[in-house]
Amino acid sequence: MGITDGILQGFSVALDPVNLLYVFAGVLIGTVIGVLPGLGPTATIALLLPLTYSIEPATAVILLAGIYYGSMYGGTITSVLLRLPGEAASVVTTFDGYQMAKQGRAGPALGIAAVGSFVGGTLSVVGLALLAPPLADLAVSFGPPEYVALTALGILLVTYLGSGTPLKSLAMAAVGLLLATVGQDPITGTTRFTFGSVQLFDGVDFVAVAMGLFGVGEILHSLERTEKVQAVTQRIKNIWPSRQDFRDSSGAIARGSVLGFVIGVLPGGGGVISSLASYALEKRRAKDPTRFGKGAIEGVAGPETANNASSTSAFIPLLTLGIPANVVLALIFGALLVQGITPGPQLISEEPEIFWGVIASMVVGNLMLLALNIPLVGVFVQLLRVRAGILAAFALLVTMAGVFSINNDSFDMWVVLVFGLVGWLMKKTGFEPGPLVLAFVLGEIMERAFRQSMLISGGSLDVFVTRPLSGGLFAVMALVVVVSLVTARRRRAAFRHVDPEGESDPATDPATEPAPEPRRTADTDVPSAPGER
Amino acid sequence: MSTSTPAPAPARPPRPVRSQLRRVAPLLLLALGVGALLTARGMGLGELTAPGPGLWPAIVAALLTGTAAALLFLDPAEDYESWTVGTARIVAGLAGLALFVVLFDTIGFVVPAALLLFAWLRWLAGESWRMALVLAVAGALVLHLVFVVALGVPFPAGPVDQLLGG
Repeated sequence: MGITDGILQGFSVALDPVNLLYVFAGVLIGTVIGVLPGLGPTATIALLLPLTYSIEPATAVILLAGIYYGSMYGGTITSVLLRLPGEAASVVTTFDGYQMAKQGRAGPALGIAAVGSFVGGTLSVVGLALLAPPLADLAVSFGPPEYVALTALGILLVTYLGSGTPLKSLAMAAVGLLLATVGQDPITGTTRFTFGSVQLFDGVDFVAVAMGLFGVGEILHSLERTEKVQAVTQRIKNIWPSRQDFRDSSGAIARGSVLGFVIGVLPGGGGVISSLASYALEKRRAKDPTRFGKGAIEGVAGPETANNASSTSAFIPLLTLGIPANVVLALIFGALLVQGITPGPQLISEEPEIFWGVIASMVVGNLMLLALNIPLVGVFVQLLRVRAGILAAFALLVTMAGVFSINNDSFDMWVVLVFGLVGWLMKKTGFEPGPLVLAFVLGEIMERAFRQSMLISGGSLDVFVTRPLSGGLFAVMALVVVVSLVTARRRRAAFRHVDPEGESDPATDPATEPAPEPRRTADTDVPSAPGER
Repeated sequence: MSTSTPAPAPARPPRPVRSQLRRVAPLLLLALGVGALLTARGMGLGELTAPGPGLWPAIVAALLTGTAAALLFLDPAEDYESWTVGTARIVAGLAGLALFVVLFDTIGFVVPAALLLFAWLRWLAGESWRMALVLAVAGALVLHLVFVVALGVPFPAGPVDQLLGG
């Protein structure tokens, strides 16, 4: 099927009234939770997973994808107005966005962010439509050794590009892989690590684990650090940016789109890294870098464009190789697995309505977001009045009821509770839940591919190195490890470099400027901002 | 992430008690890794040509054991958040959730849900008595309507739930 046919089919799926409703619901929920304190996209998607059981697979992905890129818009609003990033990818937006708001230019800051996000998201969708089919064709030739290499690369990159200490993330990935082995051995049928419990025969339920670690764990963690949120009193005017604003930021938007797209495709990429990279790029390119941190509109336009572009292109590895690039995609992967669909190279040819439908829904969703955001910013801001404690109580209860509804079994409620406790403790001790969940999802694929590889090669491990593709991938992995060891220190310095100097002086007005504390959304890769922990 | 938030942890030297206490986390992981390794060996490793059920778990457990052992020595102290008064509240909240699950299994959804919401809103979120009571009762009823009546989820039926139908 050609791209044109695909796009036509995609729009016929996306414009179906039911799917239109779900795109709308997705982007609206995404925007809302992007604004709301204490709930990030990862937690929300985890909480809503049970809901996706009863709807069509394409619709489920359309909904979850909408939440993901919708939250990228929503997070901007609080970054600009309150210097409180609603989710991790918007942290850089606080640098210049909040300064613009202080100068009475909150409107244009939000407007250019919405326009930039729209451009970035749309260009990224085009890239996705063009790049994914050939990539999937290539991936069809992959054998089991390549899958071992690919999954290993995915896990490795997430541990290295993620926020935590790589070693700790690697340990968490190992726990995730171990957790994936609970239940019956796929080949011999022997029960493993079930401790005689019948409920564990089928393994630990992915949704319950994800809901516990991300949903309950996140809520508890954010609740512990109660933030005082002040209401926004100033009226926002002139949302639509002036012609001068557009001229100033068009370059940043163009560069942000490309940068975000490229970074999003890489495993472990996604929102945070792309927005940081875009900010650093814009600052370096600027004729007068000292403007950054004092309300430069490029410093808002570039990163906001990049994070939206990357949240779209992050779907490429999932839809073509079956490898989720970050935790949000791992959750969407899990949602598809539950539906009986294993994302992989065959997805485009076997389930075209999912692939093209999701792509087309992204175009529709981005349009909706643009239409929602420009006029409704004032309404969304009012959501900040919802107190975090009330939100947490209801979110927890909905989680419990939701997880019961998966198997109608209260055993899953205990699983959520246990993993909620574990997730909260992990947050407290600097272990990232992201690699754990990603490895848990990939564990079964990896084990099966590994055992098949051993059968093909007659028990020789050489098979991973001698085949050109898997050998190449393992070479990349070795390179990543070496490079990250060498540049470990420099990387931290690079994140610091992004910080605009003298952006604010805490001594002068500590009361009016709450420190930007990214609500850790565990969105794969909240970069450990220096000094954040 | 801004210059206005100086790194809190590295700024002051960690207290000795905490620095030793935090080794508990890698130790737990190490115990998990070793335990899994032994269990996996018991399941039968097989050969590389014919992997047994325990081979892959053993490989993974070895990775866990190795990283956990390294973490015993390499774990940066600033990764650890200190325990606060808030911590005790979270533990209380978790205990409340556990109680909710137990009650849920015995007397259905609505009553435990209202109790949980009320306790949480009043004591953890610090809402007023009236606000907590209204929100708790209304919330429990709305969720019952959504899950039981609209979505048809078969919650264990308690006396109040049967009254409400579904």
